[in-house]
Amino acid sequence: MRRSFLAIAVLYGLLFAALFYWQLCAEIESHPANPRYYQMFKEKRGAIYDRSGLALAESVPEGETFARVYSAPSLSHVVGYFHQRYGMTGLERLLHEDLSQGRSVITTLDLQVQKAAEEAINGREGAVVVMRPATGEVLALVSSPWVDGNELDDNWPDYLDDQRSPFLNRATHGLYPPGSTVKPIIYGAALAGELTGSGQIWEDGGSLTLKNRTISNFGGKAHGKITTDQALALSSNVVFARLAMELGEGLLEAFRAFGLGSQVKFDLANLGGHLPGKAASDYDLAQLGIGQGELLVTPLQMAAAVSAIANGGTMMRPYLVQEVRGGLKLRQITRPERIADVLPSFSAQALSKAMALAASEGTARTDSPASFSYGGKTGTAQMGQGLDHAWFIGFAPVEDPQIAVAVLIEHGGSGSQAAVPIGVRVMEAALTIDE
Amino acid sequence: MIRAPYRTWLEYTGWLICLVLWLFWLQGQICWWQPLVLWVMIMALFLLTRVLGYDAGALPLAAVLVFAGWIFLTRLSPVWAESHTWGILIGGLAYLLGLWAGSRRFCRPLLWAALAVGLLLITALAGESAGGAKAWLNLGGFRFQPVEAARIFLVFYLAHYFADGRSKWELAAVLGSFFLILAWQRDLGPALLVFLVFCWLSLHCQFSWFKLFGFLAAAAGGFALAWLQFPHFQNRAVAWLRPWEYLDSIGYQVLQGLFALRSGGLAGRGLGAGSVQVIPNVHTDYLFAVIGEEFGFLGTFALLMVYLSLAFWSLRLLHSLPERRLQLTGLGLTLLLHLQVFLVAGGILRLVPFSGMTLPLVSYGSTSLAAQLAMLGIVTGLGGRRGEG
Repeated sequence: MRRSFLAIAVLYGLLFAALFYWQLCAEIESHPANPRYYQMFKEKRGAIYDRSGLALAESVPEGETFARVYSAPSLSHVVGYFHQRYGMTGLERLLHEDLSQGRSVITTLDLQVQKAAEEAINGREGAVVVMRPATGEVLALVSSPWVDGNELDDNWPDYLDDQRSPFLNRATHGLYPPGSTVKPIIYGAALAGELTGSGQIWEDGGSLTLKNRTISNFGGKAHGKITTDQALALSSNVVFARLAMELGEGLLEAFRAFGLGSQVKFDLANLGGHLPGKAASDYDLAQLGIGQGELLVTPLQMAAAVSAIANGGTMMRPYLVQEVRGGLKLRQITRPERIADVLPSFSAQALSKAMALAASEGTARTDSPASFSYGGKTGTAQMGQGLDHAWFIGFAPVEDPQIAVAVLIEHGGSGSQAAVPIGVRVMEAALTIDE
Repeated sequence: MIRAPYRTWLEYTGWLICLVLWLFWLQGQICWWQPLVLWVMIMALFLLTRVLGYDAGALPLAAVLVFAGWIFLTRLSPVWAESHTWGILIGGLAYLLGLWAGSRRFCRPLLWAALAVGLLLITALAGESAGGAKAWLNLGGFRFQPVEAARIFLVFYLAHYFADGRSKWELAAVLGSFFLILAWQRDLGPALLVFLVFCWLSLHCQFSWFKLFGFLAAAAGGFALAWLQFPHFQNRAVAWLRPWEYLDSIGYQVLQGLFALRSGGLAGRGLGAGSVQVIPNVHTDYLFAVIGEEFGFLGTFALLMVYLSLAFWSLRLLHSLPERRLQLTGLGLTLLLHLQVFLVAGGILRLVPFSGMTLPLVSYGSTSLAAQLAMLGIVTGLGGRRGEG
């Protein structure tokens, strides 16, 4: 009898194991033959709010069922969309379990800043990422063009045919040469390693020849005798190619410390870009020093990097989800998280001053003076064909930075002309939000 | 008067009923007299069993299962629930009949064999068919499935065979005609069940690897034969092995069952919240999947634990019996019940091909419910009155 009971218990054990698998582990819920999967898209679901409590996504009644409505079209790259036929993306997907149980999500986004960035980019292909340097909160994340989460039914075929790839999130998955926006990193590393000081005088003859290959300034312009601060403000390729060569392997280490070449620990999936393992020659180093060569970055990485500079050299983890609450479970609140000290504070401060100089007198200035002080750096990433990619990274106000921003405009031409005005408009909008 | 463990079980049952009343009062579709009558019946059976001096340990466990079935049938359709309530009341009588039969020391092996085969033969000759198998007998408007009773009689005969050493030829004749008639009726589930019980009893009496492999070979042969002979068995086997390729046809039921189980997750979607009407024959074949969807893994786990407790109760009771034949009868009946649980739940969970039987004591189906309650009665009766040794 004892053996028979054990054998029966083994049979029940098999049933328990199979139950465990089919009820808790098997990934069959979203199979097209499951009628529950389609039901889910018609049910009421938790709302997603911005930092001031404005709804970014909510379920509104539509007859017997509910439809998901988004308050800005560019949100499809961040909040994502939730659609019976086209599935779910972004935060809608990341937080699906909570949202489907009726819990609501409060994000770090600000709808006004998001809309300002949307308007500033004005249909061009590119990306804008706005952050709070001290905490890592992402205030806005725009990638243009976008698909409108409210118009998927009508426009889906057009989105598929669109040559400009509206499904691509350029902020997290667009890979671009950073151009001169790496110069602050190089300058910071050189200051930290005491290879240069902000007042050091350089002789800039407009070009630098290395074993019959030449690196020239933008437009071949010779700046003459300039300090390192001025070299950053004027974006001198000659000076930064020389600094990069002086840093040697330290250059790649500095890039790595700033998170280039590896994925950002972010709420949304993102690419790590490409950072070469080692530089083979002085020419390669010089190329890296002006942000060309093999180096590829995402706008999100550059936003995190400029935030670290603005935050006195401490890099915070960028994040989107502030809080998940409601239902029977406890509230989940995200705390700001320090990733690393990427620069000593003295060098971060000196660097901020140099970037403020670039904004007031250098390549990052605007035609009409801005109503607030900011620091920044432009980049013009040379492409084999077509116009160059335009970059701007910056922060404001200079004394106590509240906002950091990274702007990329694909084939926008020079950073000064195409990217700076967008960055300034977005920073202005972000500085006026009340907390 | 009632000892502590039994009182605990009765309290559980009471709580279960409170839950039912509350839930259905909220839903406004409760039929009040049914749970009250069932509760009174279970209490009466329990007290009667105790007063007569038998071990009543099976009743609280069976009550949990029966009520679980009733709750989910009410949730699916009040019409089925009412008919099921009558089935449970008949089952109560069957339990008492079983208790009486189990406590007598009948010694009529040939009568059992004749009853087992005869009942099947009458069904095969004069029966009505439903759901692919000709398994119903109609006695003046009262329809039932004789195979449920026939297999109990067959177990009585098998106990005689293994305990008293009867002729192998006789056994071959009885089993052979039993399987042949079932095959003729195309009722393969009970045939498989009885075959498994026979193998188990045989190995229980004298274990040998040679015999085990012999049985495995016989099972494989039977499988092959059924594959060649029965198209509906082919469908079931293909639906078991490759359901994803036959989403809308033969694989539909098994896949919808798995979707239902998966959507239940750990704690379930709540009574009445599942989308289970999409499963064909849900009230007879797939009640287990409904429980899985609405009460989750915790619910199905608890349900199987109740079955396992029931197995423990009956084998512990049988363990102390002096007579080998009584032990084997009890073991055979216990196996009939628990192997059926395994085949049904395992069929829904894709461990074995789905055989289309009912989940014992839970599913809709008066004949099988009555037969299973009778089996519990018999095992209780076999245990004897306390103090008799």
